Amino acid sequence: MFWKSTYNEFLKIAAKPRSYIGVGAITLIVGIILFAMKVDGHNFISFVTQPFEQSLSFEGKILNGNLIAFIILQMLIIHVPLLIALVTGDLVSGEGAMGTIRLLLTKPISRTSILFSKYLAGCAYTLIILLWLVFLALVVGKIIFGTGDLMVLNSEGLVILQEKDLAWRFLSGFSMAFLSLVMIATLSLTLSCFSENSIGPIVSTMAIIILFTIIGALDVPVLQKIQPFLFTTHMVTWRNFFEDPLPVDKIISSAIILFVHIIGLLAIAVYKFNRKDILA
Amino acid sequence: MSTFRIKFLVVFLFAILSGETVMAQQNANQILRAVYLKSQKAKDYSVLANIKVDMPFIRMLPIDAKIYFKQKDKFKVESKSIAIVPRQGFDQSSKMLADTNSFTAIMQGNELINGTLTNIINIIPLSDTSDLILGKLWIDNKQNVVLKSQLTTKSNGTILMEYTYGAQLLYGLPDKMIFSVDVKKFKIPKSVSGDINNSSTETPDKTKDPKKGKIYITLTNYQINKGVPDTIFKK
Repeated sequence: MFWKSTYNEFLKIAAKPRSYIGVGAITLIVGIILFAMKVDGHNFISFVTQPFEQSLSFEGKILNGNLIAFIILQMLIIHVPLLIALVTGDLVSGEGAMGTIRLLLTKPISRTSILFSKYLAGCAYTLIILLWLVFLALVVGKIIFGTGDLMVLNSEGLVILQEKDLAWRFLSGFSMAFLSLVMIATLSLTLSCFSENSIGPIVSTMAIIILFTIIGALDVPVLQKIQPFLFTTHMVTWRNFFEDPLPVDKIISSAIILFVHIIGLLAIAVYKFNRKDILA
Repeated sequence: MSTFRIKFLVVFLFAILSGETVMAQQNANQILRAVYLKSQKAKDYSVLANIKVDMPFIRMLPIDAKIYFKQKDKFKVESKSIAIVPRQGFDQSSKMLADTNSFTAIMQGNELINGTLTNIINIIPLSDTSDLILGKLWIDNKQNVVLKSQLTTKSNGTILMEYTYGAQLLYGLPDKMIFSVDVKKFKIPKSVSGDINNSSTETPDKTKDPKKGKIYITLTNYQINKGVPDTIFKK
């Protein structure tokens, strides 16, 4: 019953036009980036390597599919959460707004199972969005630009990773990015349990992401104390898989903080959904 | 002492000193000529290179590349990986020594490098428009090879090169080269790099000069004078 319910929830997501906004937006943005890089990518690379150009010469294929995928991911991973929240923020509140929640809760399945069905369907949608992004960035990027070593762009230095060393890093990085996006899906689902309309949870999720991102970016001592506990700080942890040596402690701590957020928010969502008054 | 005797002594001393300077310059030119002629023995070559970069702001593993050279100045580094090589250095000395009329060579003295006595020769370009500001070469004049060189140019800053010779000493080609180069401080906007929340927690190594970097190149499997097609340099 649980899996059937999850399947139904996924069909509901697939039937909503807004679910395709994310796919369309990612396709358009990645398409523009690929086009821009194809036309003017060498200038972008020159800008990065310029400080070394006086005494050093960079040989080999720097502008390749791996670098393009990395650039696309770091550009988009900040914005993809907004596209995820557009769908997952509507999962519970949308039912309330359409008046279908009463019918839904007449099913011979517990409220907790219904919520988890919605949550799993939301996670599946998140995975599809991420896989689509990965496909466009990595697969299409490699088709257009070829393959090669990855020059990881950091603000205070460059890390050059060999091509043979990249597959596991991308896989781990994507897994970490998925965990971050699941965190967003959990947040918006939780907020969705508190609302009777779709707009509220979606906008609230976006507002929280923006607020936390701004707090995380400010170099003010009083804010630096709370920055490690903000989930937005850990949403870029996927980048750590492209560092050498690998900052294992940092990755583990980020994963733990994200998991704690997910479990905490899920607990709140279950509590709220089980006590939700559907008769009012 | 009569005025005549004093004048004679001054002229005599001047003649000796001038003569010594001219001889020293001629001697320096002869040494440089011998080094140049030795470097010309290899008309072309290809060689496998292992490049290790120890540079502030750059972290990378050693990579393998293939280097092609053809007289007079064709040079190509071919690598599947991203390779970082000095902008000048591989054939810079021989290029510089090609025209002895374009510079003044001055013998500065001697120095022992790894047990080998070397002549230190300073090279000062005659042209104001020359990219080279000052060149300093440590030459083993028994083998006619450059063991160390320091070139200061307008465009590329100062680069120090150390050469170790082995099997290809006959051609004046090194087995190992160490380049020390000046590096500017690296900083790109976080909006470009994307590491928005990344604040470096690494403690900088105080024993290292943050503006100096080194590149170690080990060269093996030389293929000398076996012909290198021009198409390689056009790729």
